[in-house]
Amino acid sequence: MTTARKRRTAAAALLLAACAGGCVTGCGQSLEQRARAHASAGTGGGAHGALVVGSAGFTESAVLAQLYAHVLAAAGHPVAVRTVQTRELYEPALENGRIDVVPEYAATLAEFLNTKTHGPKAAPVASPDLPVTMAALGRLAVPRGLKVLPAGQAADRNAFAVSKKFAAAHHLKTLSDLGAAKLKIKLAAGDECADRRFCEPGLKSVYGIDITSVDPKGVATAQSKQAVADGTDQMVLTTTTDATLDTYGLVLLADDKRLQNADNVVPVVNARTAGDPSVAAALGRLTAVLTTADLAALDRKVDAERLKPADVAASWVKSKGLADRTSYYAPPTGGQST
Amino acid sequence: MAEYPELLEFPRFWQSRPLRQPGRSCLTENSWICGKYLRVYRQELTGSLVQHLWITATAVAIGLVVALPLALLARRVRSLAGPVLAVTTVLYTIPSLAMFSLLLPFWGISAALVVTGLVLYSLTILVRNTLAGLRAVPAEAVESAKALGYGPGRLLCTVELPLALPAVMAGLRLATVSTVALTTVGAIIGYGGLGNLLLDGINRDFKAQVLAATVLCVLLALAADAALAVVQWLLTPWVRRGRVAVRVRRRRGPRNPASGSGKRQAAPS
Repeated sequence: MTTARKRRTAAAALLLAACAGGCVTGCGQSLEQRARAHASAGTGGGAHGALVVGSAGFTESAVLAQLYAHVLAAAGHPVAVRTVQTRELYEPALENGRIDVVPEYAATLAEFLNTKTHGPKAAPVASPDLPVTMAALGRLAVPRGLKVLPAGQAADRNAFAVSKKFAAAHHLKTLSDLGAAKLKIKLAAGDECADRRFCEPGLKSVYGIDITSVDPKGVATAQSKQAVADGTDQMVLTTTTDATLDTYGLVLLADDKRLQNADNVVPVVNARTAGDPSVAAALGRLTAVLTTADLAALDRKVDAERLKPADVAASWVKSKGLADRTSYYAPPTGGQST
Repeated sequence: MAEYPELLEFPRFWQSRPLRQPGRSCLTENSWICGKYLRVYRQELTGSLVQHLWITATAVAIGLVVALPLALLARRVRSLAGPVLAVTTVLYTIPSLAMFSLLLPFWGISAALVVTGLVLYSLTILVRNTLAGLRAVPAEAVESAKALGYGPGRLLCTVELPLALPAVMAGLRLATVSTVALTTVGAIIGYGGLGNLLLDGINRDFKAQVLAATVLCVLLALAADAALAVVQWLLTPWVRRGRVAVRVRRRRGPRNPASGSGKRQAAPS
């Protein structure tokens, strides 16, 4: 083997490697563009400048995201809906503009940003008082490039449910009753429950409930509720708008010490990519009319009647006269993402 | 049995309701098998299938392009073979959820994130099989080619790679089937193809959707494997022709299928 040949081989190998590397980065970009085009094709938006509405992996978030998408589309914005499982994943994407609009819950997001900004031991900023919570949320969100739009009356507070049998056996009506009963409780919730003030830490400190462990079956998922129905877990983290509790023979325990904060539905947008006033106006009209009861009814249609979130949202938006504003708006100017 | 009534209670999903109430369908009944689901959700199923297909195809294609130089490097520099195989194997042991979370800061929420993760996973199988295939090339074939004045590039492309092809293709088929399954994990960031429907179905306790997505995923893996088997069959005509062809060639006298005409001959070593 001559040195000349060795050199030639090395050069060839280098070329191949460079080629591969170039493809990895190059392909990444084209993939991204293709994905965006693909995602917007589903909702009928254009490939360019589509507003991406983020949705978390649960029914109500999907419904809200579709409601947002429909009113934004009616306002002339091409939209795409993208589902990302948890806030820990989608919030950074909202900050950097990969996702432009997210339906959020005021207090939960305020505490999330508070912990993210000031560390896990930060003093709580959210409270059961909506204006106080919204002011705190605004202070935390603005430096991150997020714009918090006004909150409406629709609220979805976290709530805890136990099986009816369990509640009857131990005479439980409130979370205080559960704390007083000194029972060992395995809680079905998301992984993040252990770190959230309004979940495991709050249940322990405010109500004195003995949470032995958090079973990470997800927030109000079918497995979580089934686990409580079967007695594998004793309590499940769910929400006040959960319409399927009855199916599993579960009952909510009252939050008598007001541990749960003002979790009103609030649209949060990326100030740079979705700061357009027409976005705020379209979402504002929706927020103004949506109620907690509406939300529960919409959730039920998806969870029990198996209708598509997009169809449920479309008919509700139409019934409230929010779908026929298209002609009032010029073609979208803002909302260019990434 | 009367004292054990719970033994008679089947799990919910086995319960059949023979009498359908009017206005109820297999969708609201939450049946596992539901034709109406396939009709109503056809658009979602097709979209997810297409996404699944291109994510898998892109990942395996990039994986192959990356694996080939790695295998060549591992063969050339003997001391690197161990580390290369070790690193790709360690990559394979990273749980997929952790892999996608670890890559998140680099890619953000995008299809590239899922593709990158899948490429890293495919490397174990692809590098290992490519290397095994190259090492199994008969020394006499390599020596004959060298004696005929083949340079390293021509030797690789016309002698070594064709002979290593069955092993490489076996790795490619394995990597493809494994990637079809792993793609579903991308659903945590909304780029999981059929996994998006699967995860949504699990979250919402939507049995027809879970079953349909699962079955489609399995069918996709089988179809991809069959397609690659056909590709391999087409690429290796000498295996098909088998002994008959060899005998015919021998009678006609030695003929070298690899030698091209008018090509510059590399300097012999």
